[in-house]
Amino acid sequence: MTNRIFRSICLVATAVLLAALALIMTVLYGYFSDVQKEQLTAETRLAAKGVEQNGLAFFDGLSAGDTRITWIAADGEVLYDNATDQTAMENHADREEVAAALQNGYGESARYSTTLTRRQIYTAIRLADGSVVRLSIEQNTFLTLTLAMLQPVALILFLAVILALLLASRLSRRIVEPLNRLDLDEPMKNEGYDEIAPLLRRIDAQQKEIRSQRDELKQRRREFDAVTDGMQEGLVLLGARSNILSINRAAQSLLGADSDCVGKHIYVICRAPALQALIADAAAGDRGERVIAISGREFSFSVSPVFVHGAVVGMVLLIVDVTEAADAEKMRREFTANVSHELKTPLQTISGCAELLANGMVKAEDTPQFAQQIHKEAQRMTALIEDIIRLSHLDEGAEDMNREKLDLYTAAVGAVQNLQSEAQAVGVKLSLSGESAMLYGIPQLLSVLITNLCDNAIKYNRKGGSVSVTVRTEGDAAVLSVADTGIGIPKEDQDRIFERFYRVDKSRSKKVGGTGLGLSIVKHAAKLHGARISLQSTVGEGTTITVRFPAAN
Amino acid sequence: MRLKFDEQLEKLNNELIRMGALCENAIAASAKALLEGDHTLASEVPALSAQIDQKERDIEGMCLKLLLQQQPVARDLRVISAALKMITDMERIGDQSEDIAEIINMANIGATDNIFCIHDMAMATIKMVTDSIDAFVKRDTALAEEVIHYDDVVDDYFDRVKNLLIELLRSAGTDGEYALDLLMIAKYFERIGDHATNIAEWVIFSITGARKDEIT
Repeated sequence: MTNRIFRSICLVATAVLLAALALIMTVLYGYFSDVQKEQLTAETRLAAKGVEQNGLAFFDGLSAGDTRITWIAADGEVLYDNATDQTAMENHADREEVAAALQNGYGESARYSTTLTRRQIYTAIRLADGSVVRLSIEQNTFLTLTLAMLQPVALILFLAVILALLLASRLSRRIVEPLNRLDLDEPMKNEGYDEIAPLLRRIDAQQKEIRSQRDELKQRRREFDAVTDGMQEGLVLLGARSNILSINRAAQSLLGADSDCVGKHIYVICRAPALQALIADAAAGDRGERVIAISGREFSFSVSPVFVHGAVVGMVLLIVDVTEAADAEKMRREFTANVSHELKTPLQTISGCAELLANGMVKAEDTPQFAQQIHKEAQRMTALIEDIIRLSHLDEGAEDMNREKLDLYTAAVGAVQNLQSEAQAVGVKLSLSGESAMLYGIPQLLSVLITNLCDNAIKYNRKGGSVSVTVRTEGDAAVLSVADTGIGIPKEDQDRIFERFYRVDKSRSKKVGGTGLGLSIVKHAAKLHGARISLQSTVGEGTTITVRFPAAN
Repeated sequence: MRLKFDEQLEKLNNELIRMGALCENAIAASAKALLEGDHTLASEVPALSAQIDQKERDIEGMCLKLLLQQQPVARDLRVISAALKMITDMERIGDQSEDIAEIINMANIGATDNIFCIHDMAMATIKMVTDSIDAFVKRDTALAEEVIHYDDVVDDYFDRVKNLLIELLRSAGTDGEYALDLLMIAKYFERIGDHATNIAEWVIFSITGARKDEIT
C-alpha cells in the first residue's frame, strides 16, 4: 500500500513539475525574446541615427557590450564590424535581414548556430544613403535554458520524492492502522474514519451470522453427544480417511482414549490388526463384524461404511463389550465338559464292576463288595444329576416353587438334625444357636441352602473341629451364618468357589466326595431370595459364610 | 503441494502404526505360545514376521520416495529419518519373535511354569514394545522415556533367568538342552527389549530432535 501511494504521489509531483516547467518556459521564453527583439530594434534605430549623423566616427569609442554592430554598404560590402575585422568579411548583401532592409528599409532574422545551443537575432535598418546598419545579439536557445535548469529541477524532484516517501508511509499508516486495530468481535465499537464504516457494518452482520450458526452447531453437537453418550455401546464416526469425527463416552472408556483423539486417525486409539482389516474392508464398502480381544477384554467391533452417491465417505464403528457374554459362553462350555466328565467317572467304575461280575471273575464272597461299589457310584451319579436338575431349575428361576412366610431358625433346625449323624461320623461338632427370624422364602430351597453350607463346613473340616450355625435378625435382615474351624480357603480362590465344579484342592475332591455344585446351588438359591452372601476365611483357621436375607415384617 | 506431502506423511504414520501393531501381535503370539505351550500359535508367528518384512520394505520405499520427491527439512526430515530407523528395529522384533516361536516348536518346550521368571520377562518385554508403539502413536516423550528406563527391568529379568538356569545346570541330572533353549528365548526377549528402547529413542528424536546421548 505504501508503495502504491508513494508511486502515485511521485507521479503527480513529477507531472505537475514538468507541466509547470513547460508552461512557464514557453510563455516566458516567447515574452523575453519579444522584449529582446524590441530592444534590439530600438537600439538599431538609435545606431542608424548615430551613423547617419556621424558616419564612421560614430563607432569610435562606442561601447556596445554584447551587441554586435555591423555597417554594410549598399552593395553588401562590410564597412564596419565591432566583433571581427571587416576587411576579412564577405559580402553581406544576401543576408536575409540585410536583403530585407535594402529592399524595405527594415529587416530582421534569427539564425541558430550549428550546435543549436546559441541563437543569433539580427535587425537591420537602411540608412538614407542606402547603406545598412545591422545589430545582432546572441540569445540563449530554449534548449540551453532547459539544460541550465536541469539541476534545480532535479533537486526539486529529489525533494519531491523524499516528501512523497514520507507522506506515503504516513498516509498508508493512517489508513491501515485503524484497520489493524479493528476489534473484530465488536466491530461497531471501533473508532475510525468514515470510509471504513460500511466495512465494519458488514463485519458486524457476518459476525452475528457466524455466531448464530455456531450456536446452532453447538446445540446440534450437544444433542448428538447427549444421545450418544447415553449409549452403552461405544460409537465412533470415522471420516473417509479413517480419522475420528466423533467418539462417544462409552467408546472412549472402552478403548481407554480421551476426547483429544477427535481428528486423529483411528489407529491412534486402537491398532489391533483385526480392526485394521475391518476398517480396510469398510473403506472398500463392505460392512463387517468381529470380536477382538483388547487388553484382556473382548469387544465386538462392527464397522459399516457410509455411502454418499455410491462412494464411501465415512464409517460407523460400533463397539460392544462382550466380555461377560464371552465368559458366560465359556462357562457354559466348561460346564458341559465338566458334567460329562463327572458323569463318566462313576459310570466307568459301575461298568467295570458290572463287567467283572458278569464275567464271573469275582469270588462269591467279594460280590457284595462289588455290588456295594456299584450302588455307591450309582448314588453319586444320582446325587449329581439331582444337583444338576436343581441347578437348571434354579437357572430357570424356580417359578413353580411357592414362597411363604417361614422361620429361618426352624429351617436350620431341620437341616442341622439331618446332618448330625454325618458330622459325628467325621468327628465334627455341629451346633445351632440363635433366635427366630422370619422371612419370605421357598422352604425346599432354604433347606438345601443350609444343608449344603453345613455339609461343606463338615466335609472341609478337621477332626475334632466344630461347625456353628447361627440365626439372628439384624435390622431388616434375617442372617444365617455358618462358621467352621476347617481348612479355610486361600484368598485367590475365594472369588471362584461359587462357580460350578470349582474345587480349591482338586486332589481332595475324590476323598470327600460331593458333586462340586453345592456352593453354586447356594449362590443361586440366595439370589432367588434376594440374599447377599459374604465370606471370611483364613487358611488353616476356618471359614465363615454369612447369608443375609431380607426379613419379613 | 504441501497438502499432498501432509497426506503422505499421515499415510507413513499410519503404516508405521500398522507395522507396530503387527510386531505387538508377533511377540504376544510367541509369548503366549511359550506360556501355554501352544504350538499352533507358535506356527502363526512366521507368517506375521513375513508380513512385518513386507511392511518394512513398503515403508522404506515410502520414506525414500518422500526424501527424494519432497526434500523435507527440519521436523519432517526428522520424522522420516526416524521412521527409516524405527522400521529396522521393528523388523528385528518381528524376526526375534519368529526365532522364539521356532525354538518353541523345534525344542518342543511344553507349557512352562513361571519357575524361571520367564513369564514375567515375556510380559515385561511385551509391555515395553506396546509402550514404545504407544509413545510413537501418542507422540508421548514421557512414555518413551519410561520405556527407555524400563529396559533395566528386562535386563534384570535376563540376569535372574540366567542365574536360575545356571543353578539348574549345576544340579545333576537335568536336561541341558532345555536350559539352553530357555536361555536363548530369554536372550531374544532381552534383545526385543533393546529394540523397543531404540524405537522409544527414535520417537524422542522425531519429536524433539535430541539424540539419546543428549538426553540426560
